[in-house]
Parts: sequence; C-alpha cells; structure tokens
Amino acid sequence: MDMVMMVYLFSFLLVISFVAFASKPSPVYGGLSLVVSGGLGCAIVVSLGSTFLGLIMFLVIFGGMLVVFGYTAAMSTEEYPESWVSNTVALGMLLFVLLLKLIWYFVLDKVEVATVIGLFDVVGNSYVSQDCGGVSLLYGCGGWILMFLGWILFMTICVVLEIVRGCD
Amino acid sequence: MSPYMLLLTCTSLLLGTTLTLASNHWLTAWMGLEINTLAMIPLMTYPNHSRSTESAIKYFLTQATASMMMMFAIIQNAWATNQWTLTQMSNNTASILMTLTLAIKLGLAPFHFWVPEVTQGIPLLSGMILLTWQKVAPVSIMYQISPSLNMKILTTLAILSTLTGGWGGLNQTHLRKILAYSSISHMGWTIIIMPINPNLALLNLFIYIIITTTIFLTLNLAQVTKIKSLANLWNKSTPMTMIIMITLMSLGSLPPLTGFMPKWLILQELVNNNNIATATLMAMSTLLNLFFYMRIIYTSTLTMFPTTNNSKLQWMYAQTKKTTMIPPLTVISSMLLPLTPLCLTLFQM
Repeated sequence: MDMVMMVYLFSFLLVISFVAFASKPSPVYGGLSLVVSGGLGCAIVVSLGSTFLGLIMFLVIFGGMLVVFGYTAAMSTEEYPESWVSNTVALGMLLFVLLLKLIWYFVLDKVEVATVIGLFDVVGNSYVSQDCGGVSLLYGCGGWILMFLGWILFMTICVVLEIVRGCD
Repeated sequence: MSPYMLLLTCTSLLLGTTLTLASNHWLTAWMGLEINTLAMIPLMTYPNHSRSTESAIKYFLTQATASMMMMFAIIQNAWATNQWTLTQMSNNTASILMTLTLAIKLGLAPFHFWVPEVTQGIPLLSGMILLTWQKVAPVSIMYQISPSLNMKILTTLAILSTLTGGWGGLNQTHLRKILAYSSISHMGWTIIIMPINPNLALLNLFIYIIITTTIFLTLNLAQVTKIKSLANLWNKSTPMTMIIMITLMSLGSLPPLTGFMPKWLILQELVNNNNIATATLMAMSTLLNLFFYMRIIYTSTLTMFPTTNNSKLQWMYAQTKKTTMIPPLTVISSMLLPLTPLCLTLFQM
C-alpha cells in the first residue's frame, strides 16, 4: 500500500498546486506552480507504473517547453511580480479552497480514493512498462499517425513564428 | 504572408478537415480539428493588425478549450468502453461532453460569444473560411455520432441558437457581425434536425455554406464591412447590388429561392415528429434574421448614399479582382429550389 499512499499524497499536492495557479498570481509564479503541478502529475503517472511516459513528459514538456518558453516569457514581463501574499491573490486562494471543500463535501460519499486495481498486482507492485508497449506500437503500425503528429508540431512552430514576426 | 506560409496553412486547412472526415478513430478526428484550428490562425492575423491578432487569440483560446474538453470526452469514452471507434460514443458522460464540445466548436448559443467577436476582427475572406469551411469538420463528427448524442441538450442548444442568432444581429451595423449572427442562427437549424434526420442537417449546412460564400465574395469585391458603405456599392459594381439582394433573401429563406429548401424540409420533418411547438419557435425566430437582412437590402439596393457621388464611376472599368466564382454561386444560391428532389437524393446516403 506504500505506492497507494504516494499516489494519494501526490494527488493532494496536485490539487493544491492547481489552487495556486488558479488564484491568478503574476505569470511568473503562475508558471512556477504550473511547472510544479505538471511535475506532480508526472510523479503520479510514474507511481502508477508508466515510468517511461512520466519521464518523457517531465523532460520534454516541462523541462523543455514549459520552463524554456512559458517561464522565461513570463519572467521577461514584470519586474516586481505579484506573489501569493498579495491581498487579491490570497482572497482568490481562500475562495478556491472553500470551493474545493464544498466539492469534496458533496462528492465525498460518491467518490472513493481512486486506485486503479488493474495497474497493481496482488502484492501491490505495479506492472512495469505498459507504456513502452504503447511507444513501440506508435513507432510500428502507428507510423502514419506519428507523421501527422510531426506535421502538427512543424505547423505549430511555423504558425507561432508567423504570428510573432510582426509586420513585414 | 510569405507564399510558403500561405501554402502551408492552406494545405493544412484542407488536410485537417479531410483527416476528420476520413477518420474512423477518435484520435485522428481530434488531430484533424487541431490542425484546422492552428492553420486558421495565420490566415486570421494576415494583415498584421492588433484587432486581427486579438481575434486570433480569442479564437485560439476558445478552440483550445473545446479541444481539451473533446480529448477528455474521448478518453472518458475509451476508459469506459475500451475502444476508440468514432461511431461508438456509448458512454453517457462522454456523449454529453462531446455534445457541449461540438457546440463550442460550432458556436451554438450559450457558447456563441466568440463567433461575432472573432469574425468582426478578421479580414472578409478569412471570415468566409471561418464561417463556412471550419464548420464542416465538427458537423461531420456530429453527423457520425448523431444517434448517441443527447437530444434534450441538442434541441435546447438549437432553439437558443436561432433565438440569439436572430436577436443579437438586430442592432448591428457591421456586416461581419451580422453574418456571424446569421451563422449562429443557421447552426441552430443544422443542429435541431441532427438527432431526427442527420442527412437534412448536412443539406442545410451545404446550402448555408454556398449562400454565405456568395455574400462574402460579393462584399470582398467592394471591400465593405459596414452597412453604411453598402450604399455606395452601385458605384463599384451595379449588378452586385442585385446579387446581394437575392442572396440575402435566400439566406433569409424566402420561398422561391434556394434558402427556403432546407428550412422547408426541416420544418416538415419536425412537424412529422410531433415537434410542432419547436418548429413554430424556430420559424418565428428566423423572421428576426430576415428583418436585419432586409435592412442590408434596403441600404444596398433600394437607396443611394445621401450625397452627390464624389468618386469616379468604377463600374465602367474592368475589375481588378476576379469575379469568376460569383455568378455561378449566385445561381446556385438562388435557383436550387426546383431541384429539391435531386438534393434530397444526393444527401440520402
């Protein structure tokens, strides 16, 4: 049950970090809590056994894209950013926590603490590397899908460059 | 825009819709919609202006939210039913979420706010693509999963759409906003018939696309975006005033014209299914649309600008823009009513 407790802890922290960026601090801290929540999400995925998927998500999405693009862009906007100790943001956090409490109160009977039984074997160890199977399928018979996904990424970078390029 | 970028975006627009139309798997259908959204954005921001950039951002945020919800619905469905087939949307939660997502994508009534705002800020031809071509992929998905969609939600969305589409356009003076509200109203007509007879929904969308394309091409010829400027349209090209009149009458679904055909068939289908109150409500709220089309017709065709003409008479000279597509489109969008049986047969697949 060790793993279950880890997942429970990570899920709790994940919700808290959602509150942290939903209460709208300055983009710098918003980006920071987004990175933290993303990392926690990856930790949950890793704890549930998909180690490869979690690692790739963490390295590529959060390490590369979110930190480099989002966080540095947010850093460049403000000199004195508004953190969570500001009055409005603190009020926002209070409201969101109250909302969470309310939702928790209403769904408490209906939702159990979710553990995916299929991912654990009888002694509580998770099966390893289901995600590796998915990746090999993507590179095998799903090759055309991979090509389309690559096209989407290529198109996205072109679109972003076209928009931020400005007048010609 | 550089020609390479234009090629890339136009190809991707075609690719996205084609991918959605051709796919049998939820992931590829979703990918097609994403490609469509992304490819549309450079076309919107092309004359680099803060208004068009604002519109593109609004469009992107709405569509990204819708895509995220759609992915959530797809995963919910895959989780509950263990398959990714497009037509098997049997999970109830997923089906409701998908209905709402497609409503956001199409701009149906409680989620319609982005349509006028986005259309107002972008150039006419981009607006034409936004209001016509971008509707094809979501409607095709809706067509394929129409048996498993939630009928109560769909009907509510549809009635609200025709009402807001008629009501919202009443006091507008900008043509793009009026056409956006007209789009909302027509999407309502498309959706009301979707659970009952999906083929009629396709027919309605097809005819709406043709009529709207005609209007946008005509407006683009004279580069007018306000009703007021339409009073000088006769100076640019006199036949265009007649074309705008006939096409708008058709869009407002007056009987001898094409636009009457889908409304007629939809009303008949609704009445056959004992939805008499719904049919009445839809028909009445479309009259509001006809009212603001009449205002455009009055300004463009029946009056002249209340000053002496200061500019040269441009209709005497050859047009610099291509007008090849306007006459055939006008003919299709006004004279298709006698071919109703043919159209019905074409769409009864």
